[in-house]
Amino acid sequence: MSRTQTAGAKPSSVSRALARDRLGVPAVLFFVLAGVAPLTVAAGVIPTAYATTGLTGIPAAFLVIAVILALFATGYVAMTRHITNAGAFYAFVSRGLGRAVGVAAALVALLSYSFLQVGLYGAFGPSAASEAAAHLHLHAPWWVWALAAWAVITVLGLLRVDITGRVLGVLLTAEILVIVAETAAGLAHPSGGRLSLATLSPAGLTSAGFGTFGVLAVVAVLGFVGFEQAPVLAEEARSPRRTIPVATYFALGVVAIVYAGAGWAMAAHTGQAHVVAAASREGPGLLFGLGGSLLSQSAQVLFLTSLFAAALAFHNCVWRYMFALGREGVLPAALGRTGGNNIPKAASLTQSLTGLAVITAYAIGGWPPMTDLFFWLGTTGGFGILILLALTAFAVIAFFARDARGENTWRRLTAPALAAVLLSGIVVLAVAHYSTLLGVRPGAVAAWALPASYAAVAVIGLAWGLVLKARRPQVYATIGLGPHAVTGQLTPASRETPA
Amino acid sequence: MPGLSGTGLVADDLYLMAHHEITGKPYLQPRALGLGLAGGLLAELMLEGSISLQHDGVVVAGRTLPGDGLARHVLGLVAAEHERRPARDWLLFVARNAAGDVARRLERSGYVIRASGRGPWRAGRWVPVDADSAFAPLLRGRSALDATRALSVNGAALAGLATACGLGYRLAEYAPPRTGRSLEETVAQLGPALRELIAQTQAAVDGALLSHRV
Repeated sequence: MSRTQTAGAKPSSVSRALARDRLGVPAVLFFVLAGVAPLTVAAGVIPTAYATTGLTGIPAAFLVIAVILALFATGYVAMTRHITNAGAFYAFVSRGLGRAVGVAAALVALLSYSFLQVGLYGAFGPSAASEAAAHLHLHAPWWVWALAAWAVITVLGLLRVDITGRVLGVLLTAEILVIVAETAAGLAHPSGGRLSLATLSPAGLTSAGFGTFGVLAVVAVLGFVGFEQAPVLAEEARSPRRTIPVATYFALGVVAIVYAGAGWAMAAHTGQAHVVAAASREGPGLLFGLGGSLLSQSAQVLFLTSLFAAALAFHNCVWRYMFALGREGVLPAALGRTGGNNIPKAASLTQSLTGLAVITAYAIGGWPPMTDLFFWLGTTGGFGILILLALTAFAVIAFFARDARGENTWRRLTAPALAAVLLSGIVVLAVAHYSTLLGVRPGAVAAWALPASYAAVAVIGLAWGLVLKARRPQVYATIGLGPHAVTGQLTPASRETPA
Repeated sequence: MPGLSGTGLVADDLYLMAHHEITGKPYLQPRALGLGLAGGLLAELMLEGSISLQHDGVVVAGRTLPGDGLARHVLGLVAAEHERRPARDWLLFVARNAAGDVARRLERSGYVIRASGRGPWRAGRWVPVDADSAFAPLLRGRSALDATRALSVNGAALAGLATACGLGYRLAEYAPPRTGRSLEETVAQLGPALRELIAQTQAAVDGALLSHRV
């Protein structure tokens, strides 16, 4: 045992200085919740989900999915302690299920986060347009505002890589307070004067057949996307055993309560029988209408900042994947290069170009942005994350099956196995009922093309992984290591924390 | 007085390369700069034979005491630590103050001077005294990538560390067009300890970038 770890011994000055620079639970939690963007989900996803799916079990789905994700997180955070580059799903999959499957997972992740990122422009555009029309008397189409947000994100992506933590922290706190206030106001004035618990009941999850659960689960998973980001900061965390798990579980708990509460309040305030029609009519206004006008006004402004922050967070997430894969040699090396101020320009610009192409296509096509861009691509992004969660749960089991590494049976087998079965079941149900999820007729192109896009990139990834194995074994050997590809280090360097 | 040949110290050259030769504005984010310079300071000690890198961490080789005060200070830190620590820990630890430490060393050698910031709210900055001397390290890094020139250990370490901390794009701008020697070939000429130090610097900088803490 090292000198500084010995009981009673004082940690050395080097240990103390390094520990001071590391992040505690609050910093990690803020980072995670900034990606979750609570108001985007409460005002954007939940009303659109009510309207598009016509299902009212959404609040209950958030609670059930939180439990399933907590099961998943048990093995996930345990494995985080034993691998490097723990901030990326494909690192888990590479170490658990093999590097070729890892490349497939990497491409699925890239597509998922990209869908999530560009989808947000579909909510930002119309919301900013209606705010500007109402208050500034500026009448511009949604895509002008979407392009404005795109331009700011593109410039920010080329100027700096750190998310300005303090600004996001303030906005995030305000977002949560506004949702809680709207929720309280909505619950204080229930429809018919009686508060109904029906939408929180698990019975509502299968109201229109068992497949309903798959649809609701994808919406709920979409709400939680971002909770998986805590391991991005694993190497920066003060205590690898404590900081990441605590921040992850705390984020899950906060998000579950806030979303279930907001969804419940919307249904209770308008009446369960009317919430779907009201959501179709009012959109995000379903949440904003719960409280007074001042609250509603601040909520609408914060909704825009929340959408913007989420789009920026996912933009960063996409370039992070591209950069790591470029560094490893899995994607073109140019994506792994940095320019002035350490900005990964090529990776950042690639995602910006994707955003520009999608906004332009929707503007020219005249497709409705809130449903066809925000909700369709957003839920499809959430569905991609669901696939990755299921795959990662299997990877955790396989990883610890080779070596338990001191983890107990619950963490390395029981919880991940339960999560793997449940998440895989949801994936199957979601595929079978994708048309309900999107609110289109069965057999519509979007209902099969969007989920099939993951199968396509997975096959390409698998094939590319096998090509790398045969042709460039030195690249293949470092798949999943991210920044450690240059050192070949598989496990995190040992760390200590002062008492 | 500043000269085109520089101080002969890797971290000094890296510092000048990482800043504009006239304005002194940095080309790197603060943490990446610190990590690169920490790599430079540790590389100086390795080149002097004062420390070595073993599988379980950095150890004092104890053969020579460096002539430079800052190098002696860093060596003192390593020597004072009873526990053997991995290179990454030392990179992170030394990086905390490396930029200021190296700038002050360059100030003592006459390469930079401290200019006060414009306005009380703006921090001061170290500005090169002579633009040509400040630009010369980039040419030294460039010549390390030129196959027609003899390769020095200092030059190879400089090119490797510069690329590791994010200055690769600057070297590429001035790279010799046809007579290029790849960075991999250049770094391959170094001993295993320096190669590992460069790789660890690169991993630490990339890690900082991926966690958005540069």
